[in-house]
Amino acid sequence: MRYKLPLIALLLIALVAVPPLFGGGVQYALVNALIASLFAAAFNLLMGQGGMLSFGHAAYFGIGAFAVLHLMQAVEYGYMGVPTVLLPLAGGLAGLIGGLFAGYFATMRAGVYFSLVTLALAELLFSLAPHWEGIFGGEAGLSSMRMPWLGFNFGTTLEVYYLTLVWVVLCLAVLYAYTLTPFGRLTQALRDNSQRIRYMGYNAHTTKVVVFAISTTFAGIAGGLMAMSNETANYSIFSTHISAEVVLYTFVGGSTVFFGPIIGASIFTLFGFVVSGATNAWLLYQGLIFVLVMLFAPKGIGGLIQAHIDQRHRLPWARLPLPYAVLAGGGVFMSLAVVFFIQSFEHVLSNRYQAVVARTGEWPDYHLFGASWDPLSPVTWLVPLILFVPGVIIVRKAAARIHEMWEGQGADVEKSEAAPATSGGH
Amino acid sequence: MEFLITSTLNGVIYGMLLFMVSAGLTLIFGMMGVLNFAHASFYMLGAYFAYTLSSIFNFWIGLLVAPLIVGIIGILVERYLLRRVHSYGHAHELLLTFGLAFIFEELVKLFYGDYPVNYRMPDDLNFAAFNIFGTDYPFYRVFIGGVALAMFISLLLMLNKTRVGIVVRGAERLPQIAQALGHNVPLVFMGVFGAGAALAGLGGAVAGAFYPTNPNMALELGVIVFVVVVVGGLGSLTGSLLASLMIGLFSSFAVGLDWSLAGAFDWVGLGDWARSVGGLLTMSISSISGAMPFLLMLIVLLVRPAGLMGSKN
Repeated sequence: MRYKLPLIALLLIALVAVPPLFGGGVQYALVNALIASLFAAAFNLLMGQGGMLSFGHAAYFGIGAFAVLHLMQAVEYGYMGVPTVLLPLAGGLAGLIGGLFAGYFATMRAGVYFSLVTLALAELLFSLAPHWEGIFGGEAGLSSMRMPWLGFNFGTTLEVYYLTLVWVVLCLAVLYAYTLTPFGRLTQALRDNSQRIRYMGYNAHTTKVVVFAISTTFAGIAGGLMAMSNETANYSIFSTHISAEVVLYTFVGGSTVFFGPIIGASIFTLFGFVVSGATNAWLLYQGLIFVLVMLFAPKGIGGLIQAHIDQRHRLPWARLPLPYAVLAGGGVFMSLAVVFFIQSFEHVLSNRYQAVVARTGEWPDYHLFGASWDPLSPVTWLVPLILFVPGVIIVRKAAARIHEMWEGQGADVEKSEAAPATSGGH
Repeated sequence: MEFLITSTLNGVIYGMLLFMVSAGLTLIFGMMGVLNFAHASFYMLGAYFAYTLSSIFNFWIGLLVAPLIVGIIGILVERYLLRRVHSYGHAHELLLTFGLAFIFEELVKLFYGDYPVNYRMPDDLNFAAFNIFGTDYPFYRVFIGGVALAMFISLLLMLNKTRVGIVVRGAERLPQIAQALGHNVPLVFMGVFGAGAALAGLGGAVAGAFYPTNPNMALELGVIVFVVVVVGGLGSLTGSLLASLMIGLFSSFAVGLDWSLAGAFDWVGLGDWARSVGGLLTMSISSISGAMPFLLMLIVLLVRPAGLMGSKN
């Protein structure tokens, strides 16, 4: 693809040049987005390339974080002189060792059973860690300080951001290069037909273990970067929520495309940073988006983009913008209605509001979208309905129209590829 | 002796509760091959619906109606969501239920708040069943065990003695053949999914009045239920019952034991060395009781993935 390189270069320039213009909060969010991207890309090496769905990747993220914290403490107390910039390597090493061990057992099983082994391993760590003072610092966890190195003192978020950026870009480049190597191809063959791997004379189990360990190595580096950024970690890093998040990121972004998980992780982390200040229901929106993507765009955002690129010579680009705009408009209607609904409930059911109701016996108006609403008036609840119903109709009509256009592009457009285009109402 | 008897009783009853929730999960997996991540959410929804209904009407109406509502939600989930993604494969179905579990948890938080709700048993059930070693044993625990037992027996009778049961078992074993014989297999799937959800909802409605009803209950129980289903053998009802009782007994005994690996090393004279190493070796069973089910699950998955009673692999 000839647009790919200039696009990436442009993105890199933006990533280097733009953050100093923002405050520490945005920079911190960007650090998290970068780390989440690396974590998701590492996870997807296993899932998208190798076809192994892990429900316990937090384990390797976590041990990477703890390994780096131990090393940071050693540097801080002067036992060792490791340059701060090389600390994440310890996370990678811990991830590698953990992955070789866990992968040896987990890859003995396939499908759901593989997922369950990884889940059990992570849960095991999660329940042991708070009692394991020496390694995981008990319930309080471990903390340390970033030490200065070569004139950088890594005191500001911006310095941490650049350090993270360098590591993440390097790791992603390595991961991408990996997919182009013969072994990367073998990994894909593992997903598509592991029987055949055996016939070709490779040892399927060993190959799986190696892929697992590579994935966990990079997950460990991501965890290490997280530990460096936060300067602390405790056992909750092993929780199912972390494992779940990376699954969400990867599949919303699209596990079939290399850049999919990176897109998903960046969008979710940054969007979460913006929205979580305004609403407690952010995780609910995240879940809704995930389920909608699973239902209507099973290959995720990356899959949608890829389908457009693959069909670029066949699609009637001149006729597409209108139905796409209509679809987007309908989607906006529906989203507005849903957001209105959820936010209204959040307001009215909040402790503060309920306390007022209990004290005065009245249901006062609440403010949303720059207007005030009476929770007991039917008008309030008709508004989302008036938005939602036409929204659904518009989206369905536009989706059918787009579907037709995609189907009309010659017989080799598979249904599964055209189907994603019928979504978008989220 | 007191420890032995109370722990056994508590363990058996907790095990029965686990079975109430895992029965549906194992049936659904056996039939549809879908590991339903949202199953424990049905348990949670059962508890919350029963709480709402019991505060409007009374406890018994909550206990009866909440499972029905949960069952209907289960049916809708199967009919309109799971069936849609069926063609994309099992991994996709699993991911969908995983997302649903996420949504259910957040919806509960939205409507009921982050903290436990005050769902209690009615006063006329709040008495001591019998007196044991000077302490009263709550009747409600016995009630939970009784409901689970009644459920197990009626489920077993239904599956083994009725026509519906034969069709269900047929659809589980060989769906294509059952279809060819003129049975509506998708309808059977939908029914089993709904029934499984309703059973989990019943479990929640009964147990929520005794144990805390909070938004984390799905997550906490969910992983344990997976353990039960895996250890018992995916798809096997009797296996689930055995595994539930095992894990129930195990967790109730482990809480009271402060044995550790270092203690075991004493037998061979290495106890002091083990204590000096610390870490894993000196953790007492009571402090790592939470980890034990997962260890058990790992061992079963690696040694005998079909589980105790499972036949499929």
